[in-house]
Amino acid sequence: MNITQQIVNGLVLGSGYACIALGWTILLGVARLVNFAHGQLYMLGAFVTWFAMTKAGLPYPLAIVVAIVTLATLGALMQIAMIGLVMTQNLTSLMIVTLGLGYVLQGGSALIFGGNPQTLPGTLSRTKVDLGSLWFTWQDVLVLVATLALYGAVWLFTKRTRFGSVIRAVAEDPKLAELFGINAKVVYLLVFVFECSAVALGAALVAPRSPILTSMGFNEVIMTFVVVVLGGIGSIGGALAAGLGLGLFIAFFGAFIAQAYTTAAAFAVLLALLVIRPAGLATK
Amino acid sequence: MTAIESGSSTAKPLLRTTSTVLLAAIAFLLPQLLGGTSIAYSTLTTIAIFAVMCYGVDIVLSYLGEVSLGHTLFWAAGGYAAANLSVKYGLNGWATALATIAICIAVAVFLGAVTLRTREFVFSLVTYAATVVAYEIAFNWDAIGGSDGIVGIPALKLPFGFATYSGSTQEDLWPIAFILLLLTLVFIARFRRSRLGITALMVQMNPALATSLGIDQRKVRLAVFVISAPITGLAGWLYAYQRAYVGPDMFETYFLVMMLTAVVLVGRRVLLGPLIGTGILIAQQNLLSLGGDWNKIILGSVLAIVLIFWPTGLVGLSGRFRKNTA
Repeated sequence: MNITQQIVNGLVLGSGYACIALGWTILLGVARLVNFAHGQLYMLGAFVTWFAMTKAGLPYPLAIVVAIVTLATLGALMQIAMIGLVMTQNLTSLMIVTLGLGYVLQGGSALIFGGNPQTLPGTLSRTKVDLGSLWFTWQDVLVLVATLALYGAVWLFTKRTRFGSVIRAVAEDPKLAELFGINAKVVYLLVFVFECSAVALGAALVAPRSPILTSMGFNEVIMTFVVVVLGGIGSIGGALAAGLGLGLFIAFFGAFIAQAYTTAAAFAVLLALLVIRPAGLATK
Repeated sequence: MTAIESGSSTAKPLLRTTSTVLLAAIAFLLPQLLGGTSIAYSTLTTIAIFAVMCYGVDIVLSYLGEVSLGHTLFWAAGGYAAANLSVKYGLNGWATALATIAICIAVAVFLGAVTLRTREFVFSLVTYAATVVAYEIAFNWDAIGGSDGIVGIPALKLPFGFATYSGSTQEDLWPIAFILLLLTLVFIARFRRSRLGITALMVQMNPALATSLGIDQRKVRLAVFVISAPITGLAGWLYAYQRAYVGPDMFETYFLVMMLTAVVLVGRRVLLGPLIGTGILIAQQNLLSLGGDWNKIILGSVLAIVLIFWPTGLVGLSGRFRKNTA
């Protein structure tokens, strides 16, 4: 157990957390919406990828596209159903509705994909890269590179294009934005579809590392919560830094203290932060 | 209360009290009326226990207007307290119930205090995360049960000094579940008329007015959350005795979705709403079950559909009973 290997493991874990949390960061930070079905969407993204590869025999890149398209469609349907609650900014009901829809997804996935644990096939996650005493897989490299690229692209998009400011205007006051000729419903729809696509991509990239189960959604979201709150709720750079930092913390905690209680440790970090800085680390 | 007030309303409260007592008596005899079979007793006991579980969430959701996703934690805390203390230390029902209340209040104070200064969805998020973490601890920590849980919980014993009531069968547990439900209903009815209940409603309906009256909204949220926790906890406490087994499955999302659905199905801020909602949902799951996965789809869909299409629930649909229960 050398320190450098743990740093590598931490970056590997952390880039995964940041990758899965990207959609939520945008949804919550930019559009001020919540989605408690996030964990189940992650699960579904992983299973659609698995299904496309093992049952339909598609290559990995095509399977990723299938997962993104499936979840984007599902996200659009969910958002169309919830549009009334979204336009009235009824966060309480939105939280409960997304939780209920997540439960539907869990039951539906168990019906379609069965109750057994599965592993995504793939060559990238099986090929090790050895650098002296250090090792990681090509899948890990892919996750890290893809995460950095995605965060960079999203940051540029929200800060440098007109659409970025349109989204922020809608989040600030949907009614006022509509007076200025912006169709707030379409903006919300696009942001939600982006969230679902991003989590599908995250799942397709991250899930090959470990076995997948249809009941895993409940536990998967907690790291996303920690990353988003730690990063300062909606700060894109903050979420990336929080994801990588959390990954490093979990890697060291798991290696040197207790592997079984890593989620509890992440939660302890979240609570400590809420007491010290209720608005998150990256407050303006 | 002044003489004029009490004089003008003696007839109606008397009628109201009589009908309430009569209804309670019929409810108590319901398992007998349904044939007196073991299944009738166990189903109605389960409905009573689950209804109490839902009332904990009901207080937070209906009167405060916030979403606690952490009540599964209190539910499991009650179960684990009852199981551990009765199996390992041979404590009776009163002691395990007191321990349940103490643990639930302590956890709620902690979670409520930590999220005191944060935005409302952070409260939901932290309570959700707390449940996941508690699940992980319960699953890995063998001293309190570990992944296997605790089997062979002894019959519920409630000593009354001169005699001990023992709830060893479903028939014996029904009176206890019934009394727990009745006490919960009385508590909720009093809460609705209490200062805290009215303040909480004001915070939900008109935050600006509440602030202008000098009400600290965060303290109200903390107080309501703390008193709601032991209610769900006591339901979990009785559930442990009913099943004679406690395990990490008490943390399943099912219970959380069940609590929320039972509250919104009939309508928020309706005294008997969660009880009727629980009855409908348990009846579907026990009598018209389509299998575990389909039941998940039904339960989750009911929750989403009600909130999207009729936010006021079944009561809002009919709209007739609203005035009577308000």
